[in-house]
Amino acid sequence: MEKHCKESRRRFIFGTALTVAGVVSGFPFSNKLLAELVVLDDKKKVLGLTPSIWVEITKENYVVVTVARSEIGQGVRTTFAMIVAEELDADWSRVIAINAEGDSKYGDQSTGGSTSVRTFWTTLRQAGAQARQLLINAAAEIWGISPDNCYTQNSYVYEKNGVRKLSYGELIDKAIQLPIPPANSVKLKKVSDFKILGKPQKNIDETSFVTGKAVFSSDYRLEGMKYAVILRCPYIGGSLASFDDSEAKKIKGVVGVYQISEGIAVVAENSWLALKGRDALKVTWNKGTNAELSTEQIFNKFYSLIGNLPDLPGNTTKKIECTYEVPFLAHSTMEPMSAFAYFHNGKCEIWAGTQNPQTARSQVATALGITQSNVKANVLFSGGGFGRRHNNDYIVMAAKISKLSGFPIMFFYTKADDIKNDYYRPASVHSIKAGIDANGNPTGFIHKVISQGDVSFVSPSYNLGVVQNSTASYGFGIRTGPWRSVDYTQNIFVIESVVDELAYLAGKDPLQFRLSLASDEKLKTVLRRVGENYGWGRELPEGWGRGIAAFVGYGAYIAHIVEVSVSKEGFLKIQKIYAVVDPGFPINPENIKNQIMGAAIDALSTAINTEITIQNGQIQQSGFHNYRWLRMNEVPEFNIEILTTSDRPSGMGEVGFPSVTPALCNAIFNATGIRIRKLPIGKTPLLKVDGKENKTKDLEFNAYPNPFETKVTLNIRTNDIKSSNLIVRIFDILGKLVFESKLNFNGTSYQTQLDFEDLPASVYYVVFELNNQIFSFPILKKN
Amino acid sequence: MKIKVNKVEYNLDVESDMPLLWVLRDLLKLTGTKYGCGIGVCKVCTVLIDGVPEQSCLVPIGFVEGKEVTTIEGISQNGDHPLQKAWNELSVSQCGYCQPGQIIRAYYLISKIPKPTIEDINREMSEHICRCGTYNKIREAILLATKE
Ligand code: FES
Ligand code: FES
Repeated sequence: MEKHCKESRRRFIFGTALTVAGVVSGFPFSNKLLAELVVLDDKKKVLGLTPSIWVEITKENYVVVTVARSEIGQGVRTTFAMIVAEELDADWSRVIAINAEGDSKYGDQSTGGSTSVRTFWTTLRQAGAQARQLLINAAAEIWGISPDNCYTQNSYVYEKNGVRKLSYGELIDKAIQLPIPPANSVKLKKVSDFKILGKPQKNIDETSFVTGKAVFSSDYRLEGMKYAVILRCPYIGGSLASFDDSEAKKIKGVVGVYQISEGIAVVAENSWLALKGRDALKVTWNKGTNAELSTEQIFNKFYSLIGNLPDLPGNTTKKIECTYEVPFLAHSTMEPMSAFAYFHNGKCEIWAGTQNPQTARSQVATALGITQSNVKANVLFSGGGFGRRHNNDYIVMAAKISKLSGFPIMFFYTKADDIKNDYYRPASVHSIKAGIDANGNPTGFIHKVISQGDVSFVSPSYNLGVVQNSTASYGFGIRTGPWRSVDYTQNIFVIESVVDELAYLAGKDPLQFRLSLASDEKLKTVLRRVGENYGWGRELPEGWGRGIAAFVGYGAYIAHIVEVSVSKEGFLKIQKIYAVVDPGFPINPENIKNQIMGAAIDALSTAINTEITIQNGQIQQSGFHNYRWLRMNEVPEFNIEILTTSDRPSGMGEVGFPSVTPALCNAIFNATGIRIRKLPIGKTPLLKVDGKENKTKDLEFNAYPNPFETKVTLNIRTNDIKSSNLIVRIFDILGKLVFESKLNFNGTSYQTQLDFEDLPASVYYVVFELNNQIFSFPILKKN
Repeated sequence: MKIKVNKVEYNLDVESDMPLLWVLRDLLKLTGTKYGCGIGVCKVCTVLIDGVPEQSCLVPIGFVEGKEVTTIEGISQNGDHPLQKAWNELSVSQCGYCQPGQIIRAYYLISKIPKPTIEDINREMSEHICRCGTYNKIREAILLATKE
């Protein structure tokens, strides 16, 4: 095992999870440098200087920072390396980040709640400053001068008023002999002296990403390894009745079939054969007690649990009583879950992208019946996390399959497996009572959340009068888990939408209304700034609208303005997003920008198009084709301002999500007068058309049935027939053409039947041109 | 079966219907080409076949016999292609997983249109999904790489 661990570590390093910051020289990833690093790895155990578990200085004058939180796209490797490099006065182009394995000596390694920077800010600064002091002490001793007469810059110690200098690498031999200054005794820099922090820095891993060298969870390779997939019961709460693997085992290259508690695992020489083997399994399932379960039933149950909400205060003159609905969501990371495990001589080694390598370690130990000290959990790049990788189910399965088969195993989910076996963002119904008094000031906000999977309530950041929150939940056996910004995703959507409803009820401007109700100065500042940057109140063209919303959390403040247009046909376009964020101290403004844009696109995609639904006890979605994500041509322009208001940084990975959804819905209201109280937005036509209005003097449109499940019949009757057929085009809510069909003239009307089998459940617009006039009618495909 | 990837010839003993994606990743250990959906939707697995982008998850290995396959490993291992430099300059990536596919597509785009407009970029690049939402930066990076 020792040998294996060592070998694989070297493979890992050679295979480039080791990357170098490339700021000064632009492209340091020369062959020469790589060769140097390879040599370095072989010798470092002897030659490296390690004042703490966080940092190592090498003979070749590299600074190696150990990152004990997982990189999932939030930029933590760059950020942590920057913090150490700053206090160490390191040459940023010679800073390397490596991942810590799961081990309690690193403290809490759970990458969630946007806590990484806030948890490690002081620790990592001290680690850098401590190493710097030690190197200064070494130089002072060599030169026979006082440490006070030395200073540091770009990985060198210099003699003040002198010509002598030594690189950090050159100082190692001396430093190793000296006592390590206690971490809490070293002086930290003043923020005003920062050279690396607070300035835009490049992603330390960019070059390995764009050359394909970065080793992701599914990329780990070892001689002799096999590949495994699993067949799981498709019924929520169902189980395996029986299976026949004889055909699967006949496939050349299928190594074995194993039953584990999660399902039936097929192990093969490569991924393709594993999938082929799985296809050849013959299985019968016990559907269990949820065989009839549907999303409709779940929401009906939620509504039945609302009960009576308390009354609003007596001075309420106008009120809103309504419910908001938020669906289940899958994380749908770009890289479906996968993990490498090798159980061998009573020990197990893991290589995987995980948001929690410590629990991966303990869960694997429990599953295999070995002690934690016999499990090594190494962290690789994750092709997205968003909360999904807090659950290590895929790592545990890899470990179990390795133990049963005796092989090193790369276990992977297909995209469909991944979506159908996620830990979903909980679905919820929010029952609301909110009111204003005669002056238009809020009197009360009563909010009850009913969910499957826990959803805590969040109290509003505005003075809404008497606030009463309550929760209820009901279990249907659907697994739920954390999702980017967790309970804020639902709560801020609801609160910021209701605040908008109240402003409208009071006849007040939504921005001014918020400013008058916010007491926190920082919240007011981001709201005011975003209004100024955008030019709030300026005239917009017909069909356009703007919405505002704000969020306070993770130590940060953010306000968003979303600008949309809704065309005559009903097509929604997100034109612009303005954001002002106050992260306290912005460590890496470039990364903050990325996070704000990424979180916004995450929020837009989910708000507009995505939901996980259940029919006949099974999850219905299976991939990006029916769990749609925005594409480049659908995303807005961004204008982002980052404020600096303190010496301490906030969290950033989740901050940019919550207020985008309500700002978008508020913008749609502003544009159309249609209030979105049910997500995804795609369920609501943005055209004010109902059945009666489909009839004009010259034209009658009818879709039957509507809503429909897969097939719909379109009928158009007109007095003014021009030709024997008419072209109708069908667009999705973002105006993307999804269908084009000729309607046949049958004497009195045009008619056709369309099949929407492959399209996601959503509103679609049937658009055609008649007599130089454009007609658009919404139709709704149900789940 | 003989195939040629990044100018290197390989002799493989595989069934001709095995998708190119798994040949690259599992047999040749060229893991820069990623798996995302396996059904041609996400485009994360994009490679060039005779210079044209294809979804390697859909292409049977038999189809590439006698053709030139270029993967991300064949662009520039040092990252000094103008596109890679621009990506680095702007720190485009978040999780990074979709980026090899994005680079391959952008490489094809600029081979066809050396100075693409925003519309050209949107049209070509909208084939790809980036779950992290790096689209605006990708567009900016392609413009930067083709500015000169
Ligand atoms: S993996 Fe090939 S298109 Fe998604
Ligand atoms: S960078 Fe994560 S999917 Fe594109």
